[in-house]
Amino acid sequence: MIFNLLAILLGISTIVFALVAIYTKKLIFAILATGGVSLFASILYLLMAAPDVALTEAAIGSGLTTLIFLFILNKIKEEDV
Amino acid sequence: MKILDITGAILTLIGSIFIFLGALGVLRMPDVYNRIQTGTKASTLGTMLTLTGIGMIHPGWFGKIAILIIFIAITNPVSSHVLARAAHFINIPLTSKTVVDKLRESKIEEMENALKLEEEQKNDF
Amino acid sequence: MYKKLLVFATIFILAGIFLKLYQNFDGSKTLNKTASYYAKNGASEVGSTNIVTAIVVTYRGFDTLGEVTILFVAAAIIGFFLKTNAKGTNRIRNLRFSSEIMITASKILMPIMFLIGAYVFVNGHLSPGGGFQGGAIIASGVAFFLLANPTLSVNHKVLSVLESTSGLIFVLLGIAGLIYGGGFLDNRVLPLGKFGTLFSAGIIPLVYSFIGLKVGAELSNIISSLQQIQKEE
Repeated sequence: MIFNLLAILLGISTIVFALVAIYTKKLIFAILATGGVSLFASILYLLMAAPDVALTEAAIGSGLTTLIFLFILNKIKEEDV
Repeated sequence: MKILDITGAILTLIGSIFIFLGALGVLRMPDVYNRIQTGTKASTLGTMLTLTGIGMIHPGWFGKIAILIIFIAITNPVSSHVLARAAHFINIPLTSKTVVDKLRESKIEEMENALKLEEEQKNDF
Repeated sequence: MYKKLLVFATIFILAGIFLKLYQNFDGSKTLNKTASYYAKNGASEVGSTNIVTAIVVTYRGFDTLGEVTILFVAAAIIGFFLKTNAKGTNRIRNLRFSSEIMITASKILMPIMFLIGAYVFVNGHLSPGGGFQGGAIIASGVAFFLLANPTLSVNHKVLSVLESTSGLIFVLLGIAGLIYGGGFLDNRVLPLGKFGTLFSAGIIPLVYSFIGLKVGAELSNIISSLQQIQKEE
């Protein structure tokens, strides 16, 4: 019961973060929301007994990808303005 | 055995109260810097207490938990410090009740020193 | 107006399809043929405690080689494009210096992060994790150090040599399995050892260590070339 509740909550927050990532006007919020999607998805994987996938998602999806996006955002900001 | 369990449970409860207070502080505080400070301080202590409590309930995990506590003790303050510094450098306003702002003072001092240095170099030529 | 209508129509059609799938879904109660073979024979044939590692490195080792190649190609392309873009501009941007606290903490934390990454990929056959995860952790350590010291320049040549050497050793270990064992990347080149200890499961720890080094070097290469274009304007 409590497992189902937790899984549903995590799924709802993943969807909310994904919607924020799509509809927000500021790029930096979109990037952070993408990182949040990965974070919640990794917790969900952990709950569903897939620790290997969870570790990959947390390290690459929510850590490195966000960082690389931020680097690139900083670069294009300089050129745009 | 029994006493350890009860102590662990109490420590975990206190830790979660601290984390709750941190969340409340993030909601109530007036500006970014105060929010960062509340969130970090309360959640660092709360996480440490919670982890210690779990370590008392499961004594076999205590080594790993000690490493985790050390890691949190290093990373949490550093990350909050860097966040607050970056916020100050992109000129996020402080609350109107601010009394002292040492970082701005030191920045102004640095700028004045640089100006003075430039003028001296001009005078030399 | 039409566009919005189209969007809603698409959403409804998709919802109908997925509702049908959801109603008919009941999780598989029994393992299928391949999975039950792995579950039954994995421990005795490969000797790895973590069955995922056994599948990734040994049974499906060829796919892992493909994944590593994809990562290598991505890193090479990023390096190529950034290099051609950064040429000709030698003016160094005025980056904000990090504070004393950040620099000191990066010096303390980077070795710890490297250690965690190495732990994850050396223990790939015992605990969750493995080469890719460990490599990503190492690369995030490098990224952290570069954030603390934005004017530092990384020696790309060392990283490239490390990466290609690890890739070569990975392929050579696979060929050794072809010669001495039963096929490409067969892990019975070395003795299987005692089940559940660090030196067990044949060459799996070795292979995963080299994959970890390769992935870590590649991702660090990507990050440091991104940092390079930040420095130059």
